[in-house]
Amino acid sequence: MIKKITLCLMAMVMATTALMGQAKKPTIMVIPSDNWCNKNGYVQTYDEMGVQKTVSDYKAALTNSMDLKLVIAKMNELMADRGFPLKDMEATLANIERQQAEEMLITSKESGSQVAESPLDRLRRVAQADILIEISWDVTFQGPKSTLTYIMRGIDAYSNKQVAGSSGASAPTISAEPVVLLEEAVLSRIDEFNDRLQAHFEDMFTNGREVALDIRVFDNGLGIDMESEFNGMELAEIIEEWMVANTVMGRFTKLTGTETRLSYEQVRIPLYKENGAAIDTEGWARQLRKFLRAEPYNLQVKVVPSGLGRCILIIGEK
Amino acid sequence: MKKILSTLLFASILVFLTGCGAPTKLSQTSTGRFQYELEGISNGSQGTYLVKVWTYSNAAKVDIEICKKNAVHGVIFKGYPAHGTVRPQNPLVKEPGAEQQFADYFDKFFANGGEYNKYVRVTGGSQEVIKVGTSYHVGIMVSVSKDQLRKALEAAGIVKGLGYGF
Repeated sequence: MIKKITLCLMAMVMATTALMGQAKKPTIMVIPSDNWCNKNGYVQTYDEMGVQKTVSDYKAALTNSMDLKLVIAKMNELMADRGFPLKDMEATLANIERQQAEEMLITSKESGSQVAESPLDRLRRVAQADILIEISWDVTFQGPKSTLTYIMRGIDAYSNKQVAGSSGASAPTISAEPVVLLEEAVLSRIDEFNDRLQAHFEDMFTNGREVALDIRVFDNGLGIDMESEFNGMELAEIIEEWMVANTVMGRFTKLTGTETRLSYEQVRIPLYKENGAAIDTEGWARQLRKFLRAEPYNLQVKVVPSGLGRCILIIGEK
Repeated sequence: MKKILSTLLFASILVFLTGCGAPTKLSQTSTGRFQYELEGISNGSQGTYLVKVWTYSNAAKVDIEICKKNAVHGVIFKGYPAHGTVRPQNPLVKEPGAEQQFADYFDKFFANGGEYNKYVRVTGGSQEVIKVGTSYHVGIMVSVSKDQLRKALEAAGIVKGLGYGF
């Protein structure tokens, strides 16, 4: 009996360790580039304070372009084969629409209230992923010969850095259909692209995850800002000291620092907490919130996460 | 004296005959261990590389198994440069010294009749021979199943998968 209990406990400890020891997997999604959408007419135009603005219309692109569907399907297939299945854009867009429709119909039994949704929630109802594989291609003709130019870029959605990429042109051909050239372009570049993506992941494991942190203050008349002093130190200095102590090798770049806002980029946060559990930007920012809520600061802080890689802390109230 | 002359004549004939046989002998000793280069032929079908493997040899004909071993070795450890419109490809194993570190695995892998044979297929018919100085470069076209090969190396713990650590 004791032996059985010991074995069970050991299995539980091992399972917990295995789960805790894994970093949070970034989500990757293939999207057409804005340039490609614009060139092919898959854009929506709207008026913003008298200025005409255009945004890519992914749904229209997926509905009308077979070539795009082929590239996305091929990329999904190849990445799944490498043990890294991608988030499918078409399914994500459909899911957002379905969720929206469902939530509009949900009401509470007693008061008939609808599901609460803040303006921020509405804004975030877009297809998101941590790494976006942005693809674009163009077929040019010179007499009977056609050439395909292909660009594939892996963009970290939060640092906005290109973390992987591959580009080039096919040989001019008379016989091959553009769709064949497109498939060949994906097949011949995927390994090179994945090598760079893997180098990015390895860098992340060595030097920490690169994220961004914004700190703001609520304009609520309490007079708390980055210049407020605690034990002879300004709040901005206190936060910076915390940042040095809680980033990998004290790495971060201060983008702006005023009395009302602090912005940090290239903040290298550890992938694991001290107890070995995986941590993301929100979890890491909550540690700062905990620090600011404690004595002697006693500050109310609101944490607004923005995916795995960005967080906004708003000081003053919740 | 006559006896010595006949012995010498017999020895000369023997040496001559052995010499004549050398170029056509499919011996593994005619090539150095993994003396070759890879040339990308096309981007291949999904999951494969179509390459021409040029084996360096003292003889104008090389055992096909040596060519196949070289091709698989090249995809694992060397990769190949861009050639015309063919994209360059990196080796599957990028860590320097991995071949020595996992010597036991690779000795068994590249042994005669070893696992290497599962990942390579000869696609070109005859061998192409170029004489370079006193040696020969013997080329043959092969298709290497690089995706399957990568999976085998990942399973053996030699290369890390893309999702490793997550």
